[in-house]
Amino acid sequence: MSVTGIPILDNLYPATMDMWPIEAKEFNRSWPFYENLKQGRFTTTKCKDCGNVSYPPRVICPACYSENLEFIDLPKTGKVVVFSEEVKGVPLGFESPLIHAVVDLGVDPVRRLLTRIVNCQAGQLKRGDEVQLAVFDIPAMPVEKGRAGTIMAERVFFAFEPVKK
Amino acid sequence: MSRNAVMLGGGQCKWGVREAHLVDLFQEAAKACLDDIPGLKPTDIDGLIVATSYAGRCSFQVNTAPVIAERLGLKPTSICTRCDTLCAGGSTGIILAKGLVESGNADMVMVTGGEKLYTPQKWEVFYSELASVDHDWDGVHGMGLPPPFFALTAQEHFMHYGSKKEDLAAVSVANYNYAADNPTAQMQKKITLEEAMAAPTVVPPLTLYDCCPITDGAAACIITTDEIAKRFSNRPFVYLRGTAQACLNSVSANFPGAHLADWKHTRIAAEKAYGRAKVSPGDIKVAQTHDCFTISEVIEVEELGFCKKGEGGQFCGSKQIEIGGKVPVNTDGGLLAVGHPFGATGIRQGIEIMKQLQGRARHQVKDADIGLTHNLSGANAEHTIVIYGKTPVK
Repeated sequence: MSVTGIPILDNLYPATMDMWPIEAKEFNRSWPFYENLKQGRFTTTKCKDCGNVSYPPRVICPACYSENLEFIDLPKTGKVVVFSEEVKGVPLGFESPLIHAVVDLGVDPVRRLLTRIVNCQAGQLKRGDEVQLAVFDIPAMPVEKGRAGTIMAERVFFAFEPVKK
Repeated sequence: MSRNAVMLGGGQCKWGVREAHLVDLFQEAAKACLDDIPGLKPTDIDGLIVATSYAGRCSFQVNTAPVIAERLGLKPTSICTRCDTLCAGGSTGIILAKGLVESGNADMVMVTGGEKLYTPQKWEVFYSELASVDHDWDGVHGMGLPPPFFALTAQEHFMHYGSKKEDLAAVSVANYNYAADNPTAQMQKKITLEEAMAAPTVVPPLTLYDCCPITDGAAACIITTDEIAKRFSNRPFVYLRGTAQACLNSVSANFPGAHLADWKHTRIAAEKAYGRAKVSPGDIKVAQTHDCFTISEVIEVEELGFCKKGEGGQFCGSKQIEIGGKVPVNTDGGLLAVGHPFGATGIRQGIEIMKQLQGRARHQVKDADIGLTHNLSGANAEHTIVIYGKTPVK
């Protein structure tokens, strides 16, 4: 049986049901992280006053509360410390196998980055394997821009994938 | 004269997949609570704390406290608020109520918690669970439903400390068997070690009985002072001796331990709670720990100091968590078998400890005088501890 949606929401976009981040700069001051990701860069913020590097990016330094921050590049390759594989019962929005790994990118604060591993079959990954950043498109989000109408904000997100030997 | 907070009484409704609305569950729990304290009337209650996290998401209801107050016939004049710390919501409410009654800002507070998680299409709650962790940085990686996170945790415990799948299965067996005669539990069946070992895989090494279910339900308790409690009950007083809540991170990349099986934030919370309660781990006669997964209980008995770090698997596997063991844990069935409607869980745990200390628990621990409850919330982002005792801290 097919199920219809909610009639009054026809042609409307409930962003609160969108599983991906609202990345558009009108709604998120960490938008440069996602713009950098579109260029294949994995970045976070560093405090230009005290030198603290935090992940994920901030708009204030969590150590000294300075607003004087800059985006810096993080390594894009790392080693798998431990991983899990979910084959059956993968939640809506994800494909089987859903693989998660703690990845060591070799520098603080991303020595134990918990991320999804994509482009990898079940049973293939091993501890110590090298993985690299994988950026992928996610559905664009419609954003109302007043008289300019609605624009489609392009979006990307990231995971990691095995480095091909 | 100092005011000392006690838990006067409490109750919970039937937990499980319930044919009921969120406000129905809260009413059932409040009735169970007042049934536990003959003579107490709604008009005696001057404060209400409501712990719920998914009301906004699953019942399209925010500002929940006035809604619940009205349905329960309460007219609070001291406090009427909601708290949202997910799995620790109930315990957080108990901690706040202690502060309110001991400071004289309230006299008798109902702390209630509940969730109605199942909606007419089941996908919705699983999908909404993306909000249970740091959404934009962990949820989007598919870490909302927690089995993968705790599968990683179990693997690291196996790697670093040599615990085994059999140790996890021993926790399932103990907690299911405790719940088998608990009429409010979601799961009411005994299981054997062989059944636990042969259960279907969820995320290796976790199998079916390693994971708590998704649960609709509510619980409620009354926090007041010993002086006021005297007017309503002849039972032994159950004092809230010491509490703590530690939060060192939210995003999993910033996990505070050396690895996922090293729970530094639990140790920090425990040290603070023991200090405030003026007791040590060896004084704890019964505990309700956050067994969202079997591996959680294994690590909690270590970090709470019931055994040495790394020996939790052996501790659970050698039946030290069962009646007659060193510290019976989750004696009503725990999250694994009673279920886990997030905001209600800490209250359920507190009620079980209260009953143990009053000598009226279903699986009674002999001479229990000091008990402990513990919660973790989110992707292991926060730890909450309440220590109860039959005498106040001097």
